[in-house]
Amino acid sequence: MSEIALGTLLVTMSTLVEGMGQTLLKKSWLDLRRRALWVTLGVALLLLDIVFYSGALWFLPVSTAFPISGLSFAVAVVFSWWLLSETVTPTRWAGVILIVGGASLVVAFS
Amino acid sequence: MLTARSRIPIRLFLGLALAIVLDTGVQLLWKTAVDSVPPAASMTLTVETAILQQPLFIVVGALMIAQLLNWLKVLAHADLSYAKPITSLSYVTVSVGSVILLGESIHLLQVAGIVMVIAGVWLVSRSGHAGAQPEMADR
Repeated sequence: MSEIALGTLLVTMSTLVEGMGQTLLKKSWLDLRRRALWVTLGVALLLLDIVFYSGALWFLPVSTAFPISGLSFAVAVVFSWWLLSETVTPTRWAGVILIVGGASLVVAFS
Repeated sequence: MLTARSRIPIRLFLGLALAIVLDTGVQLLWKTAVDSVPPAASMTLTVETAILQQPLFIVVGALMIAQLLNWLKVLAHADLSYAKPITSLSYVTVSVGSVILLGESIHLLQVAGIVMVIAGVWLVSRSGHAGAQPEMADR
């Protein structure tokens, strides 16, 4: 596997893990009785994200790795809508699509 | 026209701004710290050795803790699907910081991408910061 492919795989895994970690941190405010549990699990996933992202930075420049990890914005919104039942308006979806599209442009030409 | 729901409380605005600043600092310092450890050596280094070789890891760790505490406060006042996309503004700051501080180059179309990110954040910022979260109102 090439260094770029390995770096991209690591940063993609970090993106999914981070999205779930963020979802659990938000969950901690929605389920206050088990707040400590959600915060602990959320922080654990964010630490795992750090491991994956650190590995990715050995193989990719930050100007590439960071925009890819930015897909976590879309992942977080999808998880918020799906798992936390947040209301995501068409305007918000449009904004997220623009953000991800902008990130893709940054990635493609880095 | 802004509605009452789309106006951002000052505390939330400051929290989001701080999140972007801290994220930018973490990204740039982390890259600088990781770059100072050769890939072959990093596979065999213990965390303690890496920290001794590059104290910047301590700074990055401290910034991450500050980032987490600030982020938890932000999430108390806003939907995750609102707050998280807003922090994508750190794309702009990290890209500019990478060019200025780390000497990395940037393509014209990357600038277009950054403009799209800013437009996306503007749309998200108009979508209302929180749904119904009665138990979080005084936090």
